[in-house]
Amino acid sequence: MDTIITIKDVSFNYVTGEQISRGVKNVNLEIERGSFVVLLGHNGSGKSTLAKLLNGFLTPTEGEIIVDGINTADESKIFDLRSRVGMVFQNPDNQMVASIIEDDLAFGPENLGVEREEIGRRINWALDIVNMSEHRHRTPTKLSGGQKQRIAIAAVLAMLPNILILDESTAMLDPKGRSEVLETAHKLNKEENMTVILITHYMDEAIDADRIVVMNDGEVILDGAPSEVYQQTDVIRRAGLELPVAARVSEKLIERGYPIKFCLTDKELAEELCQLK
Amino acid sequence: MSRDITLGQYYPVESFAHKLDPRVKLLLVIVYIVGVFLVDSLYAYIVVGAFLITSIIVSRIPFKSVLKSVKGIIFIVIFTAILNLLFHKEGEVLWSFWIIVITKEGVLFSIKMALRLLLLVLGTTLLTYTTTPMSLTDGMESLLSPLKLVKFPVHDVSIIMSIALRFIPILMEEVDKIMMAQKARGASFDNGNLFKRAKALLPVLIPLFVSAFRRADELALALDARCYNATPNRTRYKKLTLSWRDLVATIAFAVYIVLIVAVNNNFWGLY
Repeated sequence: MDTIITIKDVSFNYVTGEQISRGVKNVNLEIERGSFVVLLGHNGSGKSTLAKLLNGFLTPTEGEIIVDGINTADESKIFDLRSRVGMVFQNPDNQMVASIIEDDLAFGPENLGVEREEIGRRINWALDIVNMSEHRHRTPTKLSGGQKQRIAIAAVLAMLPNILILDESTAMLDPKGRSEVLETAHKLNKEENMTVILITHYMDEAIDADRIVVMNDGEVILDGAPSEVYQQTDVIRRAGLELPVAARVSEKLIERGYPIKFCLTDKELAEELCQLK
Repeated sequence: MSRDITLGQYYPVESFAHKLDPRVKLLLVIVYIVGVFLVDSLYAYIVVGAFLITSIIVSRIPFKSVLKSVKGIIFIVIFTAILNLLFHKEGEVLWSFWIIVITKEGVLFSIKMALRLLLLVLGTTLLTYTTTPMSLTDGMESLLSPLKLVKFPVHDVSIIMSIALRFIPILMEEVDKIMMAQKARGASFDNGNLFKRAKALLPVLIPLFVSAFRRADELALALDARCYNATPNRTRYKKLTLSWRDLVATIAFAVYIVLIVAVNNNFWGLY
């Protein structure tokens, strides 16, 4: 296994004045290069803290994190780290610095001192991937939430990261915008072999992932392939998460003694139900 | 909101003036303003006016739109003219009543002052009509870049300006939302006297500031995530380039300055 992220015995405490509150505790994770990992958890479960630890916004109180060969506690390599770990946030409006999309995309590579022609090439490439090429010279004001968030992804891609972290990037979007962003993330994962870490509290966004990590109270409580993780319905409920509708329906039907499989997607459930006599 | 506020007053047509380099336009507008303040002969004002009209034609902006910009300052112009009229006491008296004395020089002086203000506003308006705020920011950054030598953070200032421009429409939208939310809770914004109305805006301003700070927090993270200040050798994707148009415009302005100085000092004995 080619490991791109190694998290070893990591704990992080938030200190506000006298008060110390736990962000994450004793987290151990190894993430494979080119995988699509979904980090699930309700608000305050420590998932965003973990994301901020990955690109050096926060440094672990205990333990260490190695990302793409860089120790996140190494101050001298902080910008190298951040250009390799692209991070997209929740509100697309709060991530854009320029009033023209092209200029916004140029911001990252400009900061890194990339040559002009190369910046142009990167902008072409990034806009093409997120399918927004025709908006290049426009302002983001009139775009939908999903489109804005795709621009935010493109802006991060222009730095050519190896890892893309979407920190609750779907939380503010409508269903259409959410699926646009998810599609883009999956496309990047498949076509560009980008390691994607999607942080969310919507369980249904995790179905197509290679791996799901569920967090609660700063600890990893479940870790595995979607089919395994979703079976642990009790643990998921205790983590304050809601199962997808198909899973809930099939679970109840199984409880009542109907001979069907535990399903994750609506399609699967429909297939199963049609076979009932 | 029907208008895109990020574009400000920008009037989107293709023209010679629109295609000029923003740096050149900024400098030329300064030259123009100096010209307006330099002259004090009415004949020279005719030259300035003719030059302005030519510029408007070249920028292909309808006169009506340009004149609209005067609407906001017409009160100030009239006010200044009246004050000048009343306080200019030297010269040939045309009319006097009680303490009010109106002189011939006073009349001329107030007309000149009013013309000066009008020409000033019309000229600068032309700049904002033909240049997007974004390219103005770029132009200013480029013009201020020599200040880097004295450790003035030119680039930071330009980023601040560009972020401010970016957030104007967002915050306007937010104001709309908050106002609607407060109206839904029974607030009224257009009743009562000025003081009452100002007070009614408080429940709009406080949530607006709270949200602005929250946005600033996330924006700061986003700037860091995109390696802001990673290297002092920051590159620029957009390069401002001079073209033949800039040369033509500069020559035209040079001719303008020569003309008004000549007419102003009556070199050719025209009057």
